[in-house]
Amino acid sequence: MKLLLALLLSPLLAWAEPAMTIRAAELKKQPAVDAETLVELPENTAVDAAERKGGWVRVKARGTEGWIKMLSLRYGNAGVAKKGDSGISQVFNVARTGSSGTQVTTGVRGLDENQLANAQPNPNELAKLEKFATDEKGAAGFAAKGKLTATALDYPK
Amino acid sequence: MKVLALAAACALAAPAHAQFNLRDLNVNRLVDTVKNVGKATREINQEEEVAIGRDVAAHLVGAAPLMPNARVQRYVNNVGRWLASQTERPDLPWQFGVLEAPQVNAFAVPGGTVFITRGLLEKMGSEAELAGVLGHEIAHVLRKHHLKAIQKGALASLSGDAAGAALTNVNSDARKKLVGFGTEMYSRGLDKGDELEADRLGVVIAARAGYDAYGLPSVLQTLQGMNAADSALALMFKTHPAPGERLDALGKRMQPTLDAYADQAQLQSRFIAETKASR
Repeated sequence: MKLLLALLLSPLLAWAEPAMTIRAAELKKQPAVDAETLVELPENTAVDAAERKGGWVRVKARGTEGWIKMLSLRYGNAGVAKKGDSGISQVFNVARTGSSGTQVTTGVRGLDENQLANAQPNPNELAKLEKFATDEKGAAGFAAKGKLTATALDYPK
Repeated sequence: MKVLALAAACALAAPAHAQFNLRDLNVNRLVDTVKNVGKATREINQEEEVAIGRDVAAHLVGAAPLMPNARVQRYVNNVGRWLASQTERPDLPWQFGVLEAPQVNAFAVPGGTVFITRGLLEKMGSEAELAGVLGHEIAHVLRKHHLKAIQKGALASLSGDAAGAALTNVNSDARKKLVGFGTEMYSRGLDKGDELEADRLGVVIAARAGYDAYGLPSVLQTLQGMNAADSALALMFKTHPAPGERLDALGKRMQPTLDAYADQAQLQSRFIAETKASR
């Protein structure tokens, strides 16, 4: 608990991941367009990115903490980012499993072009797939449990 | 025009050595062929679409089995079915499966079947992100992107007779070819325009269902941050536009929608609780 508090209160964004601005962007005091602009960041500014809120990400850039539009960021460290190694996902993995989140993939060949080219039908797996399906009513109950409500919204033109 | 159509049908029907040899032309056979070409170029009805999808799905679960965890499978089905209920095709036999594969990928199969790999699921952090990805795949089904590509492939690689038979006769050799082609299509990918359209529609479908519209962009950013040389990404990157391009396209076309529905549910804790076993 203490650790969690320390993480939450840490001004250094201890669990941040590296990202870059892909265009000039305003660093805002709050996650809102009309919030105060703390500093104007030019394209290709390195930032430490923490949590996302809606379309905004909390970052630390040039010593200042604030919020930046999510789509102004590109994650990764100039192409050297390693798969699944980011701080945030590790914290999540620890929270989820209490372990380091190491994947056990022994014996699984997985799904690549070779497997697709040589695939033979598997009726047993297909039967399982059908068994797990749910109906409209079941899904609506599931949505209600998550307090999800449907909204009418047109597709873009 | 009619003559041209007949000539084209004749060219398809006649064996190579006898092409345009009108003396040997069997009028009955020509009429049959024209009928079958008609069958292959007409719109495939829903029953046929579902049947083709079932055959293709059987191959995909033959390539990689389902992740052996009922809780995760049911959870993904609930999210997917709730999303599908918000679309113009709510009555398809929708079914969703998590494939036991470390690769990062997802697949839409004609007729309402959607697969996501365990590798992709474990890169996600919320139900809104899952909804964004499933919304993208559901959009492929709604717009029949794969079905149309399969049909086009059938017409290009089979004779008119065979293409017609492949669609209507589930036990024909041509059908086997069609389904093989349909499965391999997931190695070749769709047109870029189809993928970008599925992104736009996927955002809308997730927002309709009550989710934070930024779920899909958020997953794309995660993929963008991964090492592009990672072999787990190879097939997905080969068959889709680069994440940066997809994010850019979404930003250009969907910014107002994204922002209007940015504060909807993310359901991080439910996602984490229900997918624990996949990690």
